[in-house]
Amino acid sequence: MHIAEGFLPPVHAAAWTAAAAPFVVHGVASLTRAVRADPDAKLLLGASGAFCFVLSALKIPSVTGSCSHPTGVGLGAVLFRPPVMAALGTITLLFQALLLAHGGLTTLGANVFSMAVVGPWVGYAAYRAVRALTARMSESASLGAGVFAAAFAASLSTYTVTSLQLALAFPDAAGGVGGAFVKFASIFSITQVPLSVIEGLVTVVIVRLLTTVGRDQLLRLGVLRGSGPAQPATSGEAV
Amino acid sequence: MLTIDAEAYRSPWRTVHPAVKGVLFGGLLVCALVLPAWPGAALAGAVALAFGLGPARVPPRRLLRTAAAPLAFIATGAVALLVTVGGPEAPVAWDPQGAGRAAEIVGRASAALTCQLLFAFTTPLAEVLPRLTRIGLPPALVEVVALIYRMLFVALDTARRIGSAQAGRLGYANRRNQVRSLGALGAALFVRSYDRAARLQRGLECRGYTGALTVLVDQAPLRAAPVAAAAVPAVLVAAVTLSRGVWT
Repeated sequence: MHIAEGFLPPVHAAAWTAAAAPFVVHGVASLTRAVRADPDAKLLLGASGAFCFVLSALKIPSVTGSCSHPTGVGLGAVLFRPPVMAALGTITLLFQALLLAHGGLTTLGANVFSMAVVGPWVGYAAYRAVRALTARMSESASLGAGVFAAAFAASLSTYTVTSLQLALAFPDAAGGVGGAFVKFASIFSITQVPLSVIEGLVTVVIVRLLTTVGRDQLLRLGVLRGSGPAQPATSGEAV
Repeated sequence: MLTIDAEAYRSPWRTVHPAVKGVLFGGLLVCALVLPAWPGAALAGAVALAFGLGPARVPPRRLLRTAAAPLAFIATGAVALLVTVGGPEAPVAWDPQGAGRAAEIVGRASAALTCQLLFAFTTPLAEVLPRLTRIGLPPALVEVVALIYRMLFVALDTARRIGSAQAGRLGYANRRNQVRSLGALGAALFVRSYDRAARLQRGLECRGYTGALTVLVDQAPLRAAPVAAAAVPAVLVAAVTLSRGVWT
């Protein structure tokens, strides 16, 4: 759910850009370090960014009968970790604004904050929590539950933060920011809640298939536990 | 190719320096956001459209089709402003100020969206990306951005081909199949993207790759006169809007 160009007042657009900036700068620094340390990582980062863009451009069926797009940030956070996703997500959102007209340039900061910062961190936290809780289950079941939680939580938190951003910009005359949040969240929940569930299911199918056809990549990214316990990859290792 | 990028390559303004188009449409976008919505945003949108549909020859139907999704978001968001919740009389009530507020936001956002789209419809992204180093972005980051840009078209084409093949095998016949097919598409895309990156790496190494991906960029000279001329429409829109405020 991208906030369209010009929808936010300039002060709010600037404030959300400032809020997202430290995360993006940290992500860009991680990415730059990874490229300097290993020039080969540049091409894998390019492939990862292109994958994130295409993932978010896929059309998935919505309950309302129409089609909508997944955020893809949950899967991205599990595969590449949230700091790298802050940088890759910002690049993806910039391309979406200029190539697909999804989102805008002045609202890029607000969209980055919800989709490239909050979404990946919430999704990754959900993934780690579920993986820890299901540590005694089989690897396949634990991974499936973890990635579903990641995709669902990331998508839902993205939509919640977007509703909050709109509520702060346009508080309700009677209910204030709280009332406005209820209004925006109610309107967008018609498509976004079912979409989060469907995105979670699609993500589970993706990761299940990857455990057979892309096992090496998942081991390298630290997603599969392999023979030992999962080691969280650093930003550089993540790509 | 994506519609916007394809139109940008066809645009007669493709050869114009991106900074000139940035000042023209960026200036009008700022007018749409900061000036009073009436007549500021309306004027900014109208002037941008006049340039876009006139000398820049942007196809109006494609522009409208591309704008449909963000306009739907703007309309949906504006609907929320028409009602108020949690009031003393009723939990949900009609807001008498809502229609005016919604109209202002729709006008402002539509004008700003028009300016952004017209810049995108006249400027291929490939000509903007190499120039990003001049505004202080790290070269390593700019190279990754340029790589993503190059790879995403191949990835999009791959996704389209896989999707067509799946549809031919009734992969999207019902909701269950849709979820399974989309999952398979995502997995195949991930594996192929990494495989392609590895093959590209090997190919580059065979050609003496040192870590720098240098590309030729049209060295269109940036002159002060066209940049100043591009700022004139925004200045005129601001002057007309502000003078109207003074005289009324």
